[in-house]
Amino acid sequence: MLFHYIDLSWRSLKRTPMVSTLMIIAIAIGIGVTMTSLSVYHMMSADPIPSKSSQLHHVQLKTMDEGHTWWTKDDMPYQVTYQDAMNLLNADLPYRRTAMIKAGFAVHLDNSDIKPFIEQARVASADIFAMFNLEFVYGGAWSSDDEDSAASVVVIAQSLNDKLFQGENSVGKTINLDDMTVRIVGVIKDWPTYVKYYDLNNGAFRDPEQVYLPFSSVAQHEIESWGNSNGWKVESNRNYQDFLNSEVFWVQFWVELPTQQDKETYASFLMSYMAEQQKLGRFARKELEYALRDVNEMMVYREVVNEDNKILVMLSFMFLAVCLANILGLLLAKFLRRAPEVGVRRALGASKTQVFIQHLVEVGLLGVIGGVLGILIAQVGLWGMRTSNSAYTAIAGMDLTMLLAAPVIAVSVCILAGLYPAWLVCRTTPATYLKSQ
Amino acid sequence: MFEFRPILNALLRAKSGAILLLLQIAITTAIVSNAAFIIKDRIAYLEQETGLPEQDLFQAEMMMYGADIDLGKQIERDESLLRNIPGVIDAVHINAVPLSGGGSGGSYTLLPQNQVSQSVSAAYFLADSHALNTLGVELVAGRNFEESEVIVSNEGTAIAKVALITQAMHDEFFPEGNGLGQTIYRENDPVKIIGIIKLMKGPWLNDKRKDRSLIFPHVRPRTFQKFIIRTEPNERAAVMRKVEDVLLAEYPHRVINSVRGLDELKAKYVAEDTLMVRMLMVLIVILVMITALGIFGLTLFNINKRLKQIGTRRALGARKSAIIRYFLVENALICSVGVAVGSLGAIWMGNKLMALYSVPALSASYVVITSLLVIVMSLLAVVGPAKRAADISPSIATRSI
Repeated sequence: MLFHYIDLSWRSLKRTPMVSTLMIIAIAIGIGVTMTSLSVYHMMSADPIPSKSSQLHHVQLKTMDEGHTWWTKDDMPYQVTYQDAMNLLNADLPYRRTAMIKAGFAVHLDNSDIKPFIEQARVASADIFAMFNLEFVYGGAWSSDDEDSAASVVVIAQSLNDKLFQGENSVGKTINLDDMTVRIVGVIKDWPTYVKYYDLNNGAFRDPEQVYLPFSSVAQHEIESWGNSNGWKVESNRNYQDFLNSEVFWVQFWVELPTQQDKETYASFLMSYMAEQQKLGRFARKELEYALRDVNEMMVYREVVNEDNKILVMLSFMFLAVCLANILGLLLAKFLRRAPEVGVRRALGASKTQVFIQHLVEVGLLGVIGGVLGILIAQVGLWGMRTSNSAYTAIAGMDLTMLLAAPVIAVSVCILAGLYPAWLVCRTTPATYLKSQ
Repeated sequence: MFEFRPILNALLRAKSGAILLLLQIAITTAIVSNAAFIIKDRIAYLEQETGLPEQDLFQAEMMMYGADIDLGKQIERDESLLRNIPGVIDAVHINAVPLSGGGSGGSYTLLPQNQVSQSVSAAYFLADSHALNTLGVELVAGRNFEESEVIVSNEGTAIAKVALITQAMHDEFFPEGNGLGQTIYRENDPVKIIGIIKLMKGPWLNDKRKDRSLIFPHVRPRTFQKFIIRTEPNERAAVMRKVEDVLLAEYPHRVINSVRGLDELKAKYVAEDTLMVRMLMVLIVILVMITALGIFGLTLFNINKRLKQIGTRRALGARKSAIIRYFLVENALICSVGVAVGSLGAIWMGNKLMALYSVPALSASYVVITSLLVIVMSLLAVVGPAKRAADISPSIATRSI
């Protein structure tokens, strides 16, 4: 029966080529525009690490003295101080945790033809690899001894390994970062994310770092941050040690809390830690506050999907509404003109339901054709976005969900548009039309 | 003479088509006026005057990894090396590059830290006396740095005693215009204003500090360095190609990185906004097209439906122009109600956007202009089908009765 209806629909579409084309164009462009903005929204807001996103928590502490406010919407600094990061790292708790900063070095090899180049680095604790599901191709993370002694060790990512060592096992080899020589202990696969969710301070869509150093090397090598440093207090930081002891916020801190119970335990630990620091003369404020956000909460908090994208999604759905009204009008006109024919069919015994379904199949067919064309249009739109802004290279694309969503939305919109006209036409009283013929 | 009554009666009898058309026109009006307004706002942002000859400026970053040199001395050598490249007007070592999105900021006050006074946040640049000439900015009052005022120090507490400030920053502190020679404070350190720069955008265009900057006579010899170089017009590309080799020949243990024009840095900084403008423009164009096609299609259909009636009217003596007028008036009626509803919708939507996002208040002129354009567009879409209707021969139309 369905095939018969599809056949009828096809004939009907061919009978009014002008109107059919108009309707298909309308739905295709509507879907194309909507899917372009929706795909970007979907890719930007997608959970970057679904298996872990609810366990990984980012720590924020409100530690400014009374009377000092912060510019963030919840008055919380985005990062923590070096002292607090160290104290949290050294806390005796059974959770994986990492402090981290972004840095950068000139990478060069002894006796090599490769021209020295600058590479961004992440200086973090060894737990970072297990916490963020970073897989090793060769070797592994540095040991806790290395971590404690600020050993000159490094983990590099696969792309860098390809560039420096043509992809072979480079564990045990040394590379130079500025004026320090470090031994490679592991090679990880490139961090598989296009949203830099673990450090959203310098833009969400930057490439992950290729070089990983133990956090203890921050103090050892006086590593300068390539990220943001924000202070609120008048401090005379004459030298690097002063800076480490200062109240400047420049370190990110993440902790892995597998259960709600763990989260509560950690939260109360944070409160008692702050109270303890207060006794030592820091945090001169009445109310102590912390924030523990998981990955997805962090993405919303830091507005990974920016305003422009939200406005575009809103506008494109309104656009789709225009297309819907457009199709509805055309369908109404088209179906009603066919009323005499329907009258005959009804007189010959077709039930209202059959007539109704037949017309819905017809609009559904429109939806399928329009949806497929819409995907093509969306590809053009996404290509335009990628060309216009290089930051969108990884984000402006359609994944399987979006590819499947396109025809579903298209068919739903068409059926929504077709309901009223189909209902009108199936109510046709056969007698009226039989008489006039 | 416009036959309002019969048109209205006919419309009321077939309401649904008219209502749909009206809806389409209303939503189109609302979207287009808001989108056009956002576009105008962004274009003003993208094309703002920076005070800098962006086309002639470029930056070069470098990372020194040899531990065997005096960085301060090397900077001086590099600067004179760069200045002597043919085609270069001037070059300067600087801590941050305007329009690049990366820089440093601080708070400055009228009185020392421990007294309550007005505080102004601003971006700061650290460079020597070549900064003004390199950046190509105009000094409206005062003087440039003297060599003796330049401090060379890496210590966090070192701060120069004098500074050049932008007009915008000056006006924040001294609305009467008497700031030259006055003292402001960075925390507890006094800073004397020795010169005022007319216009110079800072590192962040999308920030309240964009026009507020200071330049201190200060060189921080660090391993990671930035230089800005100004060339003769049209010489920039050639100099940019040369600069890495020249610097490496002078001292090899360094990486030269990110040799980019200031216009390119700016384009990267505003890429999101450029993209938004393009997306909205495409959206407007195809939306208007879709609506026009919708009106066109619907009118065509209505005409087909009324073939007999039109034929009868023509047979009874109606002129072709009367038929065309009928459809134009009918469309104009629907369209005016549509844009009226759409204008209200546009204002409502503008308020919503303003409440939810950082979009400024929609100006009424955009709604009015959009409404007029939508009416014109809709009439143009009707003319074709209406002409076709007028060409219906009375004989054909009446034959089937």
